[in-house]
Amino acid sequence: MAEWFAKLKADFILNFIDGDRWKWLVEGLGNTLLITLFATIIGIVIGVVIAAVRSTYDKNYENLRKQGGIKFIFSWILNFICNIYLTVIRGTPVVVQLLIIYFVILASVRNSVLVAVLAFGINSGAYVAEIFRGGILSIDNGQFEAGRSLGFNYFQTMIYIIIPQVIKNTLPTLCNEFIVLLKETSVAGYVGIMDLTKAGDLIRGRTFSAFMPLIAVALIYLVVVVILTQLVKILERRLRRSER
Amino acid sequence: MNANQTVITTVDLKKYYRGDKIKALDGVNATVNKGEVVVIIGPSGSGKSTFLRSLNLLELPTSGSIFFNGTDIAAKNVNINIHRQKMGMVFQHFNLFPHMTILRNMTVAPTKLLGKSKEDAEAKAMELLTRVGLADRADAYPSQLSGGQKQRIAIVRALCMEPEVMLFDEPTSALDPEMVGEVLDLIKQLAHEGMTMVVVTHEMGFAKEVADRVIFMDEGKIVEQGTPDEIFNAPQNPRLKDFLSKVL
Repeated sequence: MAEWFAKLKADFILNFIDGDRWKWLVEGLGNTLLITLFATIIGIVIGVVIAAVRSTYDKNYENLRKQGGIKFIFSWILNFICNIYLTVIRGTPVVVQLLIIYFVILASVRNSVLVAVLAFGINSGAYVAEIFRGGILSIDNGQFEAGRSLGFNYFQTMIYIIIPQVIKNTLPTLCNEFIVLLKETSVAGYVGIMDLTKAGDLIRGRTFSAFMPLIAVALIYLVVVVILTQLVKILERRLRRSER
Repeated sequence: MNANQTVITTVDLKKYYRGDKIKALDGVNATVNKGEVVVIIGPSGSGKSTFLRSLNLLELPTSGSIFFNGTDIAAKNVNINIHRQKMGMVFQHFNLFPHMTILRNMTVAPTKLLGKSKEDAEAKAMELLTRVGLADRADAYPSQLSGGQKQRIAIVRALCMEPEVMLFDEPTSALDPEMVGEVLDLIKQLAHEGMTMVVVTHEMGFAKEVADRVIFMDEGKIVEQGTPDEIFNAPQNPRLKDFLSKVL
């Protein structure tokens, strides 16, 4: 037993203390959180815009078609572009998207963290858009009608009546989406970023000892995710209470 | 209702679905005079709700005109939002905003659309709440109210915009029987105060008592109209007779 502990201790020192290798994990975690945070912000912006375009088109399709003209064509094209974006992003693996953006589209940009933020943000945007769109469609049509009947125009109705309810209803789902995103960023190593996963892998490559660094990486992810999940739970409870 | 000023006039109003397969409204000509209470009755699927909802363009007519204070609001390039501010609407399912307090439900439109100050809007709202006996619920959320309370709030929410005409779309159909009375009483009060209104309802007693004019619709058309006495005591059209024999 004592022997086992001694080996564990030696392993620990080799992997984390020697050469200050624990700092790699810290830096990796920093990159992971940085990419997740900014990708999340980009994702929300893209998601809101796409959801607004798509649900506006769906809800006003009859009107738009009747009025015809440039407005209808414009909104049809806009909606079409959004659909292409959603199909492509949701139909291909995030690693492939990351590689394409890094090596093809933004090949001249050498700041790989920036590229990763963009890639994950664009990816997340597609999922956020569908969450928001589902949220908008789940609001009873009577809410739109009540808003419109008071004299609000379409956008005022959205801003004062619909969006606040959508945010309230989708916030927990959105937060979960970001937890998923946090874990998805573990493929950032493909474009030479030292995120948390890559940091663990680098330690393994240097020390030829796989168990300790990889388990450490897994534990760090787990702790972060558990903390975030708890925060979501608290948030959900708060939101429910304000209804009472 | 003699030579009164007309508030709403519809001319050959049509609403077709799926090409022209379903004719929800099939050429409706109607007028509503200032201060008049018009009650629309008819079997379900007769187009009465569609007609009411097209008066403020929640339902877009396929063709025809709707003159509101002399303006054809069914025409293209009309800013319908301005006109809707003058037409209060009450729905079957209340449609209160669940994320706002009762007070906020009533003040959001006047403050954002009429440019009223928060204080003015709240003072007006509290005055109306006091009138309907719900002043103590001002800070409650809609989910905390009963159906009858919700509908009374929906009515006063519309009144906060100081409309010229009120449209009621089956205002008591979603209520428990014991709550119908309180809502009808409020509508009656408004009628006595001279509010112009159009009411779609299944409450024949209410129609008899409050209506200045009753319109009977069937298959997207106005089949017969007249005073409550004429409609209920001396119906002419066989379809109206048939309808009344079923509901009375």
